[in-house]
Amino acid sequence: MGRNTGKIRSFNLKRKNEYFFDYSLLLVVLFLLGFGLVMIYSASFYDASTSKSFNNDAAYFLKKQAFASMLGIIAMIVVTFIPYHFWEKFAVLGYLGSAVLIALVLTPLGIEANGARRWLNLGISVQPAEIAKLAMILFLASMICKMGKAIRTPKGFWLVAGVPLPICIMVWKITDNLSSAIIIFGIAFLMLFVASPEYKKFFVIGGGVIAFAAAVVIGLTMMDTSKLQEMGFRSARILAWLSPEDYAAGKAFQTLQSLYAIGSGGLFGKGIGQSMQKLGYLPEVQNDMIFALICEELGIFGGICVIMLFVLLIWRCMIIASNATDLFGALLVVGVLGHIAIQVILNIAVVTNTIPNTGISLPFISYGGSSVVFLLAEIGLVLSVGRGIRIKERV
Amino acid sequence: MLKNKTKNREKIVVATILFMILFLGLIARLVYFMVFQSQYYSKKAEDLHVRERYIKAKRGKILDRNGVVLADNVTVCNISVIHNQIQEREKVIDVLCKELNLSREYVEKRVDKVTSIEKIKSNVSKEIGDKIRGYNLAGIKVDEDYKRYYPYGELASKVLGFAGGDNQGIIGLEVIYEEELQGEKGVILTYTDARGIELEERGEKRIEPVDGSNLVTSLDYNIQQYATQLAKVAMEKKEADRVSIIVMNPQNGEVYCMVDVPEFDLNHPFDMGSEYSDLNQMWRNGCINDTYEPGSTFKIITTAAALEENVVSLEQRFYCPGYIMVGDRRIRCHKYGGHGSVSFVEGMQGSCNPTFISLGLTLGVDRYYDYFSKFGLLEKTGVDLPGEAGTIMHKKENIGPVELATVAFGQSFQITPIQMATTVSSLVNGGQRITPHIGLRILDKDGNNIKKYTYDKGETLVSSNTSETLQYLLEQVVDGGTGSNGYVEGYRVGGKTATSQTLPRNSGKYIASYVGFAPADNPQVLALAVVHNPKGVYYGGQVAAPIIRQLFENILPYLDRM
Repeated sequence: MGRNTGKIRSFNLKRKNEYFFDYSLLLVVLFLLGFGLVMIYSASFYDASTSKSFNNDAAYFLKKQAFASMLGIIAMIVVTFIPYHFWEKFAVLGYLGSAVLIALVLTPLGIEANGARRWLNLGISVQPAEIAKLAMILFLASMICKMGKAIRTPKGFWLVAGVPLPICIMVWKITDNLSSAIIIFGIAFLMLFVASPEYKKFFVIGGGVIAFAAAVVIGLTMMDTSKLQEMGFRSARILAWLSPEDYAAGKAFQTLQSLYAIGSGGLFGKGIGQSMQKLGYLPEVQNDMIFALICEELGIFGGICVIMLFVLLIWRCMIIASNATDLFGALLVVGVLGHIAIQVILNIAVVTNTIPNTGISLPFISYGGSSVVFLLAEIGLVLSVGRGIRIKERV
Repeated sequence: MLKNKTKNREKIVVATILFMILFLGLIARLVYFMVFQSQYYSKKAEDLHVRERYIKAKRGKILDRNGVVLADNVTVCNISVIHNQIQEREKVIDVLCKELNLSREYVEKRVDKVTSIEKIKSNVSKEIGDKIRGYNLAGIKVDEDYKRYYPYGELASKVLGFAGGDNQGIIGLEVIYEEELQGEKGVILTYTDARGIELEERGEKRIEPVDGSNLVTSLDYNIQQYATQLAKVAMEKKEADRVSIIVMNPQNGEVYCMVDVPEFDLNHPFDMGSEYSDLNQMWRNGCINDTYEPGSTFKIITTAAALEENVVSLEQRFYCPGYIMVGDRRIRCHKYGGHGSVSFVEGMQGSCNPTFISLGLTLGVDRYYDYFSKFGLLEKTGVDLPGEAGTIMHKKENIGPVELATVAFGQSFQITPIQMATTVSSLVNGGQRITPHIGLRILDKDGNNIKKYTYDKGETLVSSNTSETLQYLLEQVVDGGTGSNGYVEGYRVGGKTATSQTLPRNSGKYIASYVGFAPADNPQVLALAVVHNPKGVYYGGQVAAPIIRQLFENILPYLDRM
């Protein structure tokens, strides 16, 4: 026995000297995925088992998500073992393809659910915005590499900044999904930041955006209420964000229910499966609001553990990106890192009422097939870039 | 292929650090909600998730002065079905039809209704409830509940009043002593989902109810029972519309009995029968809720005022030709041909109208009205029952000689029977105003006194001399006057009769009444009987006085022992 293990170990060591494979990243992702399935079941079993539209099947959501996760893991494995430069050829196709898919939502292929037309029926239902995120990462990485030093010129800078805009506007206007548009733009902005040697421009733009947002909020609070009622949906969301208890029955309903869930979790939570808020009180609990459920059932302890897992995941992405053998690989990983980080931050900010309510799911954990499949494919890309890293001989 | 330069690596690290800072901010936000605001949001969430179901408290008993229970509680059962717990549908339906005497259609419809809980029948007796529980069928729920129960049915119905389905007093003492009788509801707290469906597996919290306290009244079961009988007999014999009897202690205002037949069954207070068109009509307590023209019994009040003002002496002579001229109006005496020349005592004995009209006119409007007011006749008596009616009286500036003359012998204004009994009590008891009352004490469930209601004697209305003279005069009325039917062998009784025509004057309807008290020289009990619209002989002396005589014959020996 002892001898045999020795053999295997020396074999592994030999392989490890040649290749790098980020097991900790894989482990974190698989853990989040498994944890997500448990929480989806916890969130949905009561509703699913008492509702005829889900065949009274307690595991309805669990089964669908488990199936999507399997698909995603297959995609991840495939992508991991394909050298990432292979995908460069598809960069332009991906960009144009995602634009076409978004446009297809307007055709009879589009599916409407929960009051928004965001999905496509391609045998299975797919959310084009999720494809667009991956396509944008690929397209920008490829484009920046082709541009070379041109990125240092103002023209190059604004070109990279402008390229994502058509897709962002399509996602926003056609699928009525502002949050995905913001995420796509955020990813592009981050990739541009990493590729460009400059700092100043970014801080000016970043400062400008923050100042503009602050001005809008202050402006709204100073306006009198009669005028506000004439203005639409988004200004109402902002007001509900500022004083949720005044809009408890309307715009702030979900936010307030989310705060009830989070606040009643306390230090160690009510125990898994014991949430009260999931019993129909908190809308979209298995989806955008799943972090609130985690806090209610597992307490601040569970909530911080989940955040730390994402921090670890992002940290691993950073290590891989820094050590990537070329800029293309590094930018791909930076794009994925940005995608995950922005989405996690925005999701938790929404459930804690830190920003106005907008529908953003929590990566790997929230219910949603397209999201998990494409996220896992992105992790495959990261692992693939990681495999390209050569570890120096120890001898 | 482009290299991943040092500058790019630096920026990757900078971006990651920026993200980490944002994560720290979010963790701080979580700490704020889950540590510092946790109690606030937990409370809000709890309020949202919990449903309160109330448990009825046992209502306090109402007792008579000797501890006889006049209002009690019985345990009853509410039978309901829970649709999705039913296993043997047919058997459930069979049992419910059989035990509750319900039609199959009715039961089937309720058993098949998809609701969380459906009531089949409430207020089912405990025996039937226990029997149904004995079948041990899943899906049938038998809840125990309390229901007000009045052991003597009609007895003192309008005084006691009754309590409604939510245990709340609706009329009578049940309303006035609501706070003491009702107790405190208990609560069952259960968790529900957002649709309001109870989650049994999460258990429940119970806060037990606190039973109501018991009320001891001044009523005497025996007197009330006997007076009710007499009133019923009189009503039947005289085909009267209504008969009211009040018996009270003139010294302290304690009411021994208050009868207003026809009474109604307190255990079925909503069954009107054919003679009423309106429940309020059936529930009205004629002794306090309605006014009447008192007629000649009011001559007691005129006499008291005249004696107090020294405008009359017992020997003073009056002449009655059968009428008296007041201004240009001729007011007749009830005795055709008149009483002729009478002393004041004889005038009292004969209830001679011109005699009392003369007294009234001698006093004059100012003095007469002052006494009317001083005796408390313009105010309510303050009896502890709801809905006491006020006096209907002329405004002082509208009283001319004719009005004064009619008021002096008890007509052209209206008071309640309780006001009549109370005012006469206050004049003959030595001259101090009393407050009629029924509630005496509140006892806790172990019989300890928690609260005592005290009614101090009010202001002095007349001197004790005047009061003694009144006692003498009224004893003369019984001994040799119109009140001779009120005479009770072996007791000194004072009294006064009255016969008044109801409005409109030509209707031929009368009210016969009599107020009596004993012993005449130290009154310990005073009784008033009012018979509305008796047929045949309608004089108070013939109709009402015998009622009080019979009552006194029975209760005076009984009260002597008390």
